[in-house]
Amino acid sequence: MSVFSIEILLVVLGVGLLLLEALVPSLTRRALASISLGGAALALVLFFFADKSAAALPAFAQPFHQLDTLAVFYKGFALVITLAVLWLTVESRAYLERYTPGGRHGEMFSLPLIVCAGMMWMASAKDLITVFVCLELVTVSFYVLVAFARKSSFALEAGVKYLILGALSTGVLVYGIAWTYGVTDSMSFEGIAEALAAPATAKNAALLGAAFLLAGLGFKVAAAPFHIWVPDVYQGAPNPVTAFLSVGSKAAGFIVLTRVVDAFMAKGSVIASEVQALLLIGGALTVLLGSLPAIFQTNLKRLLAYSSISHAGYLLLALGCAQTARFDLDGSSVAAFYLGTYLPMTVLGFLILTVVRQAGLGDDAQDFAGLAKKNPFLAFAATLGFASLAGIPLTAGFMGKLFVFLGLVENAHWFALSCAVIGAAAGFYYYLRPVLVMFTGESGPALKIAAPTRAVLVLLAGAILVIGVFPKPLQGVLKVPVASATK
Amino acid sequence: MITLSHYLIVSALLFALGLAGVVARRNILIIYMCLEMMLSAASLTLVAFTRFHVTDGLPDFAAQSLVFFTITVAAAEVAVGLAIIVALYRAKQSVETEAVTKLQG
Repeated sequence: MSVFSIEILLVVLGVGLLLLEALVPSLTRRALASISLGGAALALVLFFFADKSAAALPAFAQPFHQLDTLAVFYKGFALVITLAVLWLTVESRAYLERYTPGGRHGEMFSLPLIVCAGMMWMASAKDLITVFVCLELVTVSFYVLVAFARKSSFALEAGVKYLILGALSTGVLVYGIAWTYGVTDSMSFEGIAEALAAPATAKNAALLGAAFLLAGLGFKVAAAPFHIWVPDVYQGAPNPVTAFLSVGSKAAGFIVLTRVVDAFMAKGSVIASEVQALLLIGGALTVLLGSLPAIFQTNLKRLLAYSSISHAGYLLLALGCAQTARFDLDGSSVAAFYLGTYLPMTVLGFLILTVVRQAGLGDDAQDFAGLAKKNPFLAFAATLGFASLAGIPLTAGFMGKLFVFLGLVENAHWFALSCAVIGAAAGFYYYLRPVLVMFTGESGPALKIAAPTRAVLVLLAGAILVIGVFPKPLQGVLKVPVASATK
Repeated sequence: MITLSHYLIVSALLFALGLAGVVARRNILIIYMCLEMMLSAASLTLVAFTRFHVTDGLPDFAAQSLVFFTITVAAAEVAVGLAIIVALYRAKQSVETEAVTKLQG
């Protein structure tokens, strides 16, 4: 069984689920959720055992599909985050029922599967046409998901803002693709890299195309100065969708960015140094513009949005030092590793927000006051999640930041490094302040959590600790083959 | 004789006009129309480039296929986008940008 058939399976399942919801009124929300979760879990298991060699792909897919280490990693990543998001959807039942009365939330269970297929295809894209189509499959599905709780004025507002800025980024992206094609006469990453290496290439036009392309992708990954939409949209969207945007959409943007940057910074490229400068300056700016406003946030969901921006900054910095190969990781695999650490801690954060909201409280910091007395287990999990987001040693977040910082030191990007250090230092303050609130506030009625939720919390917390103490397995998945490390 | 540069200048103008509209206008429907204009400008650029990139006497059709995808995606985007804007109008009786200023900070 090839990986390609798993992606087909996901689309069929997603569309089938939509039809089922429309045609079989007797199907309960529970049944829809079980089909969706079961399908995603089955896809993950199948993916684990699938033949991941490029030769196993069907012949018609060969010209536009590649399967290298990074592609396989991002495909697995897409499946895991989709599964997590579906679980969060199950958990946010009360919220969704309040704002979409009478609904069975069929779209919330089927669209993530289609988004997942889009993200998986994107990871294997070989040319800009595939990238565009997959990116839009993901983005248009997200328009629906963000505005899903349409009776909530916050969700509706977030939906409109995401729609306008998403469509704007699409326009910018296509314009960038057009100019890049115009300069290089090629749509494939290979052809672009080759054409850019020729000294006769028109440098200014190539830069124009690259700048528009990177700006379009910058919107998708929430990089400064295109990050203004992020806090509003993240705060207004339902929790599962925010988690999906924050982890899934970001990862999808970053695999595309990795491919594009690889082509732009290929050996001998006429615009390599400019693109690298753009990445480093953009990354440093993103870290600062994400971290510094986060200090003043009192709403935890909004805080996680700013945190998501600053993490995008570290990821850009990782891509900016693409030439290193330390611990068998180069710039693009450091970014992938960072995303691997980012997944469990962010999902943990949103799961806790969801559980607290399910108990009838809100997202503000004071809603978390006394959480340690209401439910010590939940408070402990939250502490671990926030400590990991801040990057405290022995947690996953620390290892991710460590690799990024080492890459910057090795390449002597001192300015970017100092910005990253300032961002990390601010992080210690704004991530640990909510934790302090949880342990000091007044106690209230005990907050109960169901056994399955507890199991998922343990799983996520375990992942954070295991990656933090023993990062070798995750690192091994991303190991750069010796031949390509020296290219 | 119309050359590649003419097409590029026109499409750049269209793109800039669309962007200016997105930034300056206050009505969300008009902003949305401007966004579609930007997408059309990008498509025009692409068509011009592919038309003038001739191999064996034929334009580059493989790259031109992106334009069809752009058109299809734009249609899907309009369908979803208008649905969201209609939902906004139902909730607020307005499609001005002032209707969406609750989330701030």
